[in-house]
Parts: sequence; structure tokens; C-alpha cells
Amino acid sequence: MHPVQLFHWHFMAYPYLPPDFDERFDTGWVTVPNSLWDRERTDGLYQEYIDQSVEAAELGYDGLVLNEHHQNIYGLMPSPNIIAAALTQRTERAKLVVLGNLLPLHLNPLRVAEEYAMIDSISGGRLIAGFAVGGGPEAYNYNIPSPQSRQRFWESVDLILRTWTEDGPFEHEGPSYPLRYVNIWPKPRQVPHPKVWIPGSLSAETMDHVAKRGFDYFLSSRTHGAATRQARERFAEILKRNGDTYHPFRMGVLLSVYVGETDEQAKEEAQEGVWYFLKYCLKGHLRRTGRTLTFGPGVPSQSVRSWQAYLENSTAGAPMLGDAEDWEELEAKASIVVGSPATVREKLWELIEQAEVGNLLIQFHFGNMKDALARKSARLFAEEVAPALRERSADLFARKYPMLADRPAASAAE
Amino acid sequence: MSGREVALPRGRTVEVAEAGEGPAVVYLHGIADIHGASFGWLPFHEALAERFAVIAPAHPGCAGSSEDEELESIDDLVFHYLELFDALGIGTLRLAGSCIGGWIAAEIAVRHPERVERLALVGPTGLFVPGAPIADVFWETHPADGVSFAGLRALLFGDGESGIARDMFPDLRGDIDREVLRYKLFRFASRIGFNPPYLHDRRLARRLARYRAPALAVQGEDDRLVPRRHGEVYAERFGDARLEVVEGAGHSAFAEKPDAVAALVADFLDA
Repeated sequence: MHPVQLFHWHFMAYPYLPPDFDERFDTGWVTVPNSLWDRERTDGLYQEYIDQSVEAAELGYDGLVLNEHHQNIYGLMPSPNIIAAALTQRTERAKLVVLGNLLPLHLNPLRVAEEYAMIDSISGGRLIAGFAVGGGPEAYNYNIPSPQSRQRFWESVDLILRTWTEDGPFEHEGPSYPLRYVNIWPKPRQVPHPKVWIPGSLSAETMDHVAKRGFDYFLSSRTHGAATRQARERFAEILKRNGDTYHPFRMGVLLSVYVGETDEQAKEEAQEGVWYFLKYCLKGHLRRTGRTLTFGPGVPSQSVRSWQAYLENSTAGAPMLGDAEDWEELEAKASIVVGSPATVREKLWELIEQAEVGNLLIQFHFGNMKDALARKSARLFAEEVAPALRERSADLFARKYPMLADRPAASAAE
Repeated sequence: MSGREVALPRGRTVEVAEAGEGPAVVYLHGIADIHGASFGWLPFHEALAERFAVIAPAHPGCAGSSEDEELESIDDLVFHYLELFDALGIGTLRLAGSCIGGWIAAEIAVRHPERVERLALVGPTGLFVPGAPIADVFWETHPADGVSFAGLRALLFGDGESGIARDMFPDLRGDIDREVLRYKLFRFASRIGFNPPYLHDRRLARRLARYRAPALAVQGEDDRLVPRRHGEVYAERFGDARLEVVEGAGHSAFAEKPDAVAALVADFLDA
């Protein structure tokens, strides 16, 4: 059986911003002053977040997701590998998904190859290796010229894969990372190498790179069923062009979920954290108000043609996820799913059925959400939402993708 | 494409705008400039063209020039321009440049002082001056509240709300062709000027003394992109140079005070 794989994603936001944050600062990224960091209240913060992730593994989530961000309030993981290393010691079965290391920010791709190999080795082969380019704020954080970053990214990816699959020493001839002696110790535990996931936001170019290398694609925009189905159709088409075939585990999608006992209670409990997340954490990233650094001429990673297409298909100053004003608007965007187990089950099933995507990467903790609420939501999901989704998806996928029958089951929950 | 297309090795092409008659002047553009935020000539260029044959190539990837994926540093760009001069049959030349174009002109001059007869720079970037960094123009291309480019205009012009500033960098979204033109300029600038931050080469200052022919630096008195000290260092370190400060103008002095700046530059180049 191949049920949907359910992952618990923790962003590890900074939860102690002052109530007048929105009036005083135009972004939560890059220049948000770190004088706001509260040394006393942050004692134990990482531990709290790690404990939430560990509990998720105990609840049977198939994996735990971490990612890399710098100099910001949205995610306090400049090095997700450190958290992943900690999780290797407290979990036994869950996959550890680092999604991903931001390769253009690393001086030398060998360091990433080595650290991932260490995590894979220590965890007994539980790493899913994500590689990402990094968004606009990260370009400012490390002063990475955007026009060259994709080319450097793919050179790094290919070099890392070579370190994992070819015996060394060998020479890498560059151009961006020329190295005379490539010969990493340790090698990763998984053979031929850990699964590779690459995030993208619908760009056909990225999908094509992913397909050519036989990797899996992760849609990083919080989106609803129809848009996810479009992404799947596009990716499936690109796989086909590359002589490969789509099945639901070739793709993942990011979701944000809060489960409460009833719809009303869920909203009531989620509200503080969700709005903190939208108004503060997304400020500078996915919110019109303030200064959005995520894309634009200052971080011109997109080709001229794709920028032109963006201009032709968008409106200047259009609201983004972080600009939602109330629950109705949020629900219409369907980017954040909040409700009773039945409501969440129904909405996620709709997405799975429509999009036929097999990896759901779910954010349960929002902004300054209290520990008890984040845990309760993840628990209610695991107990009252996950079983139905697993059962129904296993049937659906078996019916629609008979080729999965030949594939070994991957679920940590089984 | 408004100018003619010149072919270079490796399949590259350069759009070159030309106007006027007289001694040849190669003009390298900046941001609020032809090929940067304007498809055509500005009054400053037209005034220069009354006395010179002005040759204004678009930088790689800008306007109608092809993008060069291998372009990574200011050195690559110097070679690009040497190849263009070869293609155009230019041996020695009078060289002028604004903003990023001023930086490129200075880099060419210190490498090939024998080819550059006179050098005029308006609001040139290019130098690292400790404690007086060039401002972050890239950051300001992200509009405030998704709509306002007031910050960008304030960096590029003495009066950011003047007609020319608002025409070149309107709030919300302008005409898509011009938006794309500006995107190309910043994509080019990012290749050579995003790291180190921003738009300079640390080694340039110690090389300036190599250029001993006459040089002129012009800066608007309210240049908020390039601190005044940069103009002073150019003037002090070149072998034979002076700095002129233009009142009532900011970084894009040539666009804001076209007559005054054109007179300064033309008189200097003509001497």
C-alpha cells in the first residue's frame, strides 16, 4: 500500500516580537533589528520547537521537515543541519527532510555533501536531501548575485550527487567550484544516495532540471487544490518528455493547517499565531505592506523573458498571502486550512483527490503559537485526520497508479 | 532596437546608439539613462551630440544588447568593451560615463591609459571608500507597500519627485516595455555589482594613479547613491583630474541639469 506521506514541518519562528512591530518595521527579514531578540525569553525556545517535532515523529508522522533561513523572524534555522542532527538522536523512524540547504550561500558544495552524508549516516539512512536556491532576502543576506545563482546552484547539485555516487578521489572542473580532490568521508548511508527534493514555484525550467535528474519536485507556494493540480499536470508532462512517469510520490506540497475540536474553537485558538505569522513573519516576504524582498529587479534571478511574463500576468501592488484581512479572505485563498478534524479532512482530501500529490508537508506551528496548541493540533491531525487520508489515498493511488504496486512501501507509519 | 547592432565574438551583439558629428565620444550609460531607464536619448546626450559624434553602446543584457551568461566581473566587462572598440575600429578615444558607466570607463582607463585621451565621469560608482559606502540601489527597486518607488527616486535624483524622476521610475507599474528595460539594467548591474556590496571593485582606488591624461569627475551636490567622497577620491588619485559639483542635482546630474552638465563635459572633452 502507498498512502499519502504526511510530514510535520517546523519553521521555528521568532515568537516574541513587540505588539507595535507592524508600525515600527517594514520587514521581518534582513534588516529587522536583532536588538529585538530577547535573551531571557528565548532560553529553551529551540528545545520547545525540537520537542514539538519529536512528538510529531512519535505520533506517526512520516517525516519531519526543516529549512534554512537567515537573519529573519520567520525561521530561526540558519543551519537546519544542526536541528536535523539533534533529531537523529531523538527519533527512530521518521524521515528527516532538510528542504533545503541553500546552495548558492555555501562557499563550497562539498560542505553540504559532507554534512548531509553525516546526517544520513547518523540517522541510519533517514535523510531526504533538499537543495534550494534561496529567495530574495537570502540574496541580500549573503550578497549573492541573483543572475548567476541558478547556474551555480545546479553545478553544486550535480557535484554533490557525484560525491555520493562516484568513488573518489576525482577532480571537479568547475566553473564555479573547481576542486582538485573530491573524495568525501563519510558517504551517505542510502544507496545510491538519499532522495533529492527540489522546491520550486511552478517554473517549468526548474521542473525540467528536476525531471532530467530523476529528482522529486516540491511545490513551495501554499496553494489550493486547483493550482496544485496544475503544477502536477505540468510536472507530469515534463517528466514524460524526459522519458519518465509521474506518480504521487514524485511531488510534494506545502500546507498550513490548524486542527481544533470544532471549527469555532480552531479559529479561536489559531487566530493569534496565524495572524502573527501572516502579518509579521511574512512581512518582507509575502506581504505587500512594507517591503517585499522575495522577488524583483533587485534580486533578478528570473530570466528577462520570465520577468516579462510575470509583469504581463500580474497587477502591481496586488495583495499576497500576508495581506489577507480576515478569516473569510484566508479561506477563499485556501492557503491556510483551519477547522475541526472533519473540516480539515475534507479539505485535504479534496486536495489529494484533485492534485494526486503524495507528499503533504504540513506547517502546524504559526508565528507565536503556544506550545500546547501547536502540539494539540498536530495530535488531533495525527489521530483524527491522518488515518482517513492514508486509507483513502492508498486506494486512490493504487487505482490510478498501478505501477506503484512494484514499489516498496516507504511509509514510516506502517 | 533603436541603434545599430554590432557583432562581437562568442555570438554576442551590442546595440549601439549614435548621434551627432565631430570628434568621437564613447558614452557608457548608467541607470537613469539611455539603455537603462530610457529607450532614447535624453537632453544631455543631445547637447553632447551638438559637438561630438556620440557613440552609446548598451551594456551586455541591457536594451537590445545580448545577455552574456559568462559575464561575472568588471574584468569581463573591460574585455567586452575592448572587443567592442576593436569591432568599431576605435583606437584611441574620448571616454565618458555616468553612474555604473563611469565605473566601467575608469576601469578601462586604468588598464589602457594609452587609449583614453580624456575621461569624463558623472556620478561614477566603482570605488570602495571605507566608511562611505555606495547606497543599496538594488534594495530600493523593491517598492514600498508594493507600489511606491519614492526611495529609488530619492537615491537617483536630487529631487525624487521631479518630473523626470517620476517619468523614469513611476509608482505602481509603468509601461511593460520600460519595466523590462529597467529589469535588464538591474540584472546586468547585479552580475557585476551585487557582490561586493555594491557596484565597486576594491582594487580600483589603488590603480587610479595609472591614468595620467586629463580626467573630470562631476557629481550632483545631493548625490545620495554615491557619497561625495567618491568624487573627491577620483579627483585626488587620478594623475590629472578635478571634481565639479553641480548644484540642484543628485546622482543623475546629467539628467537633472542637462545643460550645465553637458557644458562641463563637452568643454572638458573638447579642450
